[in-house]
Amino acid sequence: MIQISRLALKDYLNEWQISICYIFALAAVLGPMMVLFSLKFGIVSGMFDQLIDDPRNRELRPVYSGRFSEEWIAELQQRSDVEFLVPKTRSLAASMLLKSKTAPRIISVELVPTGKNDPLLPHSKEYPKGFDSIVLSKSVAKKLAVKAGDTIEGSIQRHYLGVTERKQLPLRVVSIANSSAFTRDGAFASIEMLEAFENYRDGQEVPVLKWAGSKPNDEKKYFTSFRLFSKSIDDVAGLQKWLEGKGVEVITQIDDIKVVQNMDKTLSTIYWAIALIGIIGFSTSLGSNLWANVERKRRDLSIIRVIGFSTSNLIAFPIVQSLLTVIFGWLLAVGIYLGVSFWINALMAAQLEVGERVCMLLPEHYAISLALAVILSVFVATLAGIRAAFIEPAQGIREI
Amino acid sequence: MMGREEIDGSIEQPARTNDVIYDLRDVYKNREAEGVAFQLTIPILQISRGEKIALIGQSGCGKSTLLDMLAFISEPTKSASFVFNYQDKDKKWLQQDIDRLWSKHQYNPLCETRRHHIGYVMQTGGLLPYLTVQENINLSRDILGLPSDDTTEKLINELGLRYHLKKRPNALSTGERQRVAIARALAHRPEIVIADEPTASLDPFASKTVMSIFMRLVEEMGITVIVASHAWDDIKELGLRRLSHHSLRSPEELKTETIVTG
Repeated sequence: MIQISRLALKDYLNEWQISICYIFALAAVLGPMMVLFSLKFGIVSGMFDQLIDDPRNRELRPVYSGRFSEEWIAELQQRSDVEFLVPKTRSLAASMLLKSKTAPRIISVELVPTGKNDPLLPHSKEYPKGFDSIVLSKSVAKKLAVKAGDTIEGSIQRHYLGVTERKQLPLRVVSIANSSAFTRDGAFASIEMLEAFENYRDGQEVPVLKWAGSKPNDEKKYFTSFRLFSKSIDDVAGLQKWLEGKGVEVITQIDDIKVVQNMDKTLSTIYWAIALIGIIGFSTSLGSNLWANVERKRRDLSIIRVIGFSTSNLIAFPIVQSLLTVIFGWLLAVGIYLGVSFWINALMAAQLEVGERVCMLLPEHYAISLALAVILSVFVATLAGIRAAFIEPAQGIREI
Repeated sequence: MMGREEIDGSIEQPARTNDVIYDLRDVYKNREAEGVAFQLTIPILQISRGEKIALIGQSGCGKSTLLDMLAFISEPTKSASFVFNYQDKDKKWLQQDIDRLWSKHQYNPLCETRRHHIGYVMQTGGLLPYLTVQENINLSRDILGLPSDDTTEKLINELGLRYHLKKRPNALSTGERQRVAIARALAHRPEIVIADEPTASLDPFASKTVMSIFMRLVEEMGITVIVASHAWDDIKELGLRRLSHHSLRSPEELKTETIVTG
């Protein structure tokens, strides 16, 4: 096999003009196809995925306050279409004052319960736990002039037995939320902290923080609302139906989602049709080139046969050459794609956000295009090689 | 009743030795081209080790067909027995049933036998255009994994190819190409070398020179040789055994039959 590969390589290099023609022919079809696909991926997938992936489109918000028991919350949590769920305390109790050493102002913030894997906080590795950590909304971080890792002071007050009391807590800023996650002055904190604040404001004691107050009565714990996100936008409708069946009316983005889904479907169909035509064109072009190459080499292949190379060697000869064409053609196509996409992206740069691209391919797209071309070419070259192998060598060597 | 006319024929008694390499009985090859049927019939053919065989006849009489069958690159239409005997590395005689290999479509053993034991000089050289002269000559050794040795050196010197080694075939004259083809066919010291009109495209003087070098080399190397030629005069002094054959042609010229024995 090494022998025949060397022969195939030498022939390929000797006929470098023809080889380059084949390489260009391949790149001329594959390159534009990659540009086309990158446009589909960059524009449609990129922008639509952004819409689809925006967690706010997956949020289901109760319209009214209710009484949700811990068991009820747990049951909802168990559902496979639920990605994130955290109960909420009364909104009047969910607030606190924040103060930092670096800014003169004291800011009053809304408290939002959070937990592990909060879709609104996708970039923070850490999430607020217990009573000593917090995530600030962008506006608050700006007003307090703090960054992740800083420590600030939080305080809450209550009127208990006619006296105004105030409690302070040192809080570590775990991270700063994106501006889109929460637009007002707010802070994400653990549900335990929010519960403790609610109890404190109700005049109850908070043993964990050694805050004094009346003993809580032993009745069941109820939450007034919850923050709920479904796994995907496709789960919103089902989850909404289930909740409404339980008498919980929710606000969702379901109408917008339907519009997005329909557009995505339509555009995907159009692009796949284009891609399919492209693939057929590419296959035909590559296949016919390789086939013609073997036809052209029938005499040489017969000579190789007469010298004593085996049938498998004979078939390997065009395969090796087609692999060379595919690899170089693919590299050239990637070059064409990179050039064109750079140009298109630069052209559109003004209309795009930082990091956003009109043309985009993932590493797997490169791999898929190469694999597709390799499989196809090996297939055609094998067929052509088998055909050549079935010609009696005696006949082949006497063809002019 | 089909009338037959003898157009060429002379029968000579072959000188037999005991080491028979080719042993053919009732081998036929049929071909049809542009409405004219052609049949090559070989009632009996034995070729022994070290023999120098000449196959003389007009073009189209079936010389190439016979050579191709002897080189295992063309399948007989029908055959009662087609045996190839050869010596392995330890000088032990082995037998290959060529007829059986063809009928069972076992092309790789045929290829292997050809690779080891046969050198083929094609009518038009059959050099690979993308290899240099040196690489073309080495090809028959490379494919067997043999290193370059003094055989190659000797062939290069005797055939006057020393100054052409780095050239590609297209830079050579026809005569030079045929000499390279001869060198390639002999380089791996095969049992047999088969040459199909090796000097047909050369001028008479060059033809004679190349042929005599060729014959001297095979004699020195102890290689059995089978040469096809259309001109007996060119090679009759070289001491070859001439295979006898008749060509019979029907008056309508719709069928030609050549019968070879020896």
